[in-house]
Amino acid sequence: MTSEYVIEMNHIRKEFPGIVANDDITLQLKKGEIHALLGENGAGKSTLMSVLFGLYQPEAGTIKKDGVEVKINNPNDATALGIGMVHQHFKLIEVFTVLDNIILGAETTKMGFLQKKEARRKVIELSEKYGLKVDVDAKVEDITVGMQQRVEILKMLYRDNDILIFDEPTAVLTPQEIDELMEIMRGFAKEGKSILFITHKLNEIMAVSDRVTVLRKGKYIGTVNTKDTNKQELSNMMVGRPVQLEINKDDADPADVVLNVEGLTVPSKIHKNDAVKDVSFNVRKGEIVCIAGIDGNGQTELIHGLTGLEKATAGKIEICGQDVSRASIRKRSQAGMSHIPEDRHKHGLVLGFTLEQNLVLQKYMEPQFQNHGFIKFDEVRKYADKLIEDYDVRSGQGPVTVARSMSGGNQQKAIIARELDRDEPLIVAVQPTRGLDVGAIEHIHKQLIEERDKGKAILLVSLELDEVLGLSDRILVLYEGEIVGELDPKKTNPQELGLYMSGALRKGKEAEQC
Amino acid sequence: MLRLDPETGKQKWYTTDGAKSVLSAIISILIGMAVGMIIIVIVGLTKDNISAKGIWEGVRLVFLGVFSTGRESGALTFGFNPVNMGNMLFRATPLIMTGLSVAVAFKTGLFNIGAAGQYLMGTMGTLTVGLTLGNTDCPVLIAWIAAFLTGVILGGFWGAIPGIFKAYLNINEVITCIMTNWIAANLVTWWFDAHDIFKNSAEGGKVGYIIPLKNVGVVTPKMGTDVLFPGSQANGGIWIACIIAVAMLILLNKTTFGYELKACGSNRHAAKYAGINDKKNIILSMVISGALAAGGASLYYLSGNTEFFWSTYMSLPSEGFNGIPVALLAANNPVAVIFTGIFMSMLNVAGMQLKYLTAYNEYIADIIIAVIVYLSAFSMFIKQLLNGREKKKGGNK
Repeated sequence: MTSEYVIEMNHIRKEFPGIVANDDITLQLKKGEIHALLGENGAGKSTLMSVLFGLYQPEAGTIKKDGVEVKINNPNDATALGIGMVHQHFKLIEVFTVLDNIILGAETTKMGFLQKKEARRKVIELSEKYGLKVDVDAKVEDITVGMQQRVEILKMLYRDNDILIFDEPTAVLTPQEIDELMEIMRGFAKEGKSILFITHKLNEIMAVSDRVTVLRKGKYIGTVNTKDTNKQELSNMMVGRPVQLEINKDDADPADVVLNVEGLTVPSKIHKNDAVKDVSFNVRKGEIVCIAGIDGNGQTELIHGLTGLEKATAGKIEICGQDVSRASIRKRSQAGMSHIPEDRHKHGLVLGFTLEQNLVLQKYMEPQFQNHGFIKFDEVRKYADKLIEDYDVRSGQGPVTVARSMSGGNQQKAIIARELDRDEPLIVAVQPTRGLDVGAIEHIHKQLIEERDKGKAILLVSLELDEVLGLSDRILVLYEGEIVGELDPKKTNPQELGLYMSGALRKGKEAEQC
Repeated sequence: MLRLDPETGKQKWYTTDGAKSVLSAIISILIGMAVGMIIIVIVGLTKDNISAKGIWEGVRLVFLGVFSTGRESGALTFGFNPVNMGNMLFRATPLIMTGLSVAVAFKTGLFNIGAAGQYLMGTMGTLTVGLTLGNTDCPVLIAWIAAFLTGVILGGFWGAIPGIFKAYLNINEVITCIMTNWIAANLVTWWFDAHDIFKNSAEGGKVGYIIPLKNVGVVTPKMGTDVLFPGSQANGGIWIACIIAVAMLILLNKTTFGYELKACGSNRHAAKYAGINDKKNIILSMVISGALAAGGASLYYLSGNTEFFWSTYMSLPSEGFNGIPVALLAANNPVAVIFTGIFMSMLNVAGMQLKYLTAYNEYIADIIIAVIVYLSAFSMFIKQLLNGREKKKGGNK
């Protein structure tokens, strides 16, 4: 008996103590289709895929491959059934070459000796066939994230997998790399391979998938044909209430200058040149200024130089008229700057600390929370409870939850709660919605606009074009460490912005060769 | 994964982190003792002069050494032995201090393997000042405080060196600590070699040693230990160590300073982001750590009876390294360090009892300590196992 579906997961139920991660979920994958699995953070997408990949055993439900019931006890069983997975966080050995990583675990040997020649030929053949450009002899640590992902994909192809799972593959890619990946995925589908594509980005679903299955809070909501639906409907299904995709805001009414930066120059840690070259701009009360640009054009260094995480070699920084060019991080922050950092695990949170300890990270030394160096634990708890309530930070055990155990979205909410509640005139928000789902993004956008309307000056760094165009009142484009253009979001469009971002256009100059 | 009590909705006490730490420490200790027992049996079986009865005596002494009261008509007797008890506390004093030293550094994310060198610097400072002031009209109390503080300050300074290298040049503290250990060993040897006045030439055959501080009267008061444990070496040092341990617990858990130290230890980048001076905190943590290790030496030598073999350039004091298992077994909790420190010295006392009362020698106790040292690193792993077991149980429910 042949089945219409290559993989059927019927009525899957998976429990963890205190939570039902998957509750009666059914997923059917047709041969040669790109099937998107959509859901907010914590909706149970990853759990479901882990069940399929043999990492978890379901409490109830069956899995069928080509209509035959199978039992997948571990990833080896999954591989034997032709199921391959590209994890969100790559599973590569950094000091090994690309080739070694691809053959690892599936080495061809002769009398115990590796037969790399054969493997090498096969890898190169595959990479040419699917347009997956990789340098087989480069070490993984030396190649870009995009290429690392191609290595992961080649790993699946090398094992002759024909059911490919992509777990949030685009989270780490630049817009160009995303386009390339979409093209590659379409190629696979044409070949007859079946693809499961986990994501919460609606644009990508509309662009590449054939069908979409939506999960919400561990429950199956429905499966729809992509061509019969639209972004609004999908996001409503995902969040469970009408979501506002467009960002609505009044025109800005900028007043006094809050942040003034002149000639800021920050050295690079990677190369000898400066990462930020002689950058000048200002941010006024009541406006959102967005620094746009492709990742790696000096955004991180600019913010680090501004906040004091790295030393700037030249330039002047004034916050509310106070010169903080040489001041310590704490002085700058006390001069009136809160900072939602780019990397919430590295800078934003002390993951080993509890939620309440993290919520007072910027305030523990204030008289409200300490008396002669002794922390007032009651006050900390009261304050934490208030922030958790006001900003709807959800966690297992409230204020005493260890930050590490919280979901990414709630970790970000905690950071935003902490920084916004400081009520400083300047808010520096670096990729505040990275890796978050639609509901959370909507919420954060609203909060930022509210703060702006309260008269805060907001400096936003974003890599998402939608966010840049929708949220900002003024756009500064950063290209190779220089501001190459200042645009009005109402008068520009993604194409023009893209040209500036790629360095093809420059302020006051005709288009250069690109 | 957390398991909640279905009735109260609260976390069950035995699933808390603290309970797991205690449990894993106890498991490590029991495995260590079991291995020691096996060794006693094997040694006993291979030696002609140890009978089955001798083996049984050895096993009992390993576990109950501190309670041994000698022999009566050929059989071992057990009961409250004030001398053993007191000596156990006396020997625990430096271990508690070096244990605190390692624990505080761990909390800040640093591995202070340099406690041995800091301990030697403390020895040098305390003995030098104690002997010098003890020979003047200086009041004993002032001399005691000066001797103690000099040792502590020298140790703090010695700890600062790896701290500075770590903070400003990002050189791994383990490497600099090992180097400062040996620099200290040579420096101390040179110092006492160059100053004959500190050498014990009065008592024949003791030229290799420094004059004990009791000869000049600068000693720690007994503070009641002579009443509780008559005839033992115990002195007020153990109380001082306990007070310092409690002070460290308060410092780490109740103060903004402790919050900063732990933030730096847990995530240096986030601490820096929050405006905490990470460099300052790394150095301060090593200073405190060094001062604690040196304080252990100061208290040990200020007991008065202890003699220091000054030509130490070939060896490092074991107290410095034994601080590591003491801290690990205590899961870096300063108050728990008091108990693990006492436990380690209990094994030591048990070893002495083995030597005096049976045909075994005291090195059996050292083997047990070595196994526990080994397993103390293992206690983390045992804790993980405990966590893992629960996860699995939860998953299959």
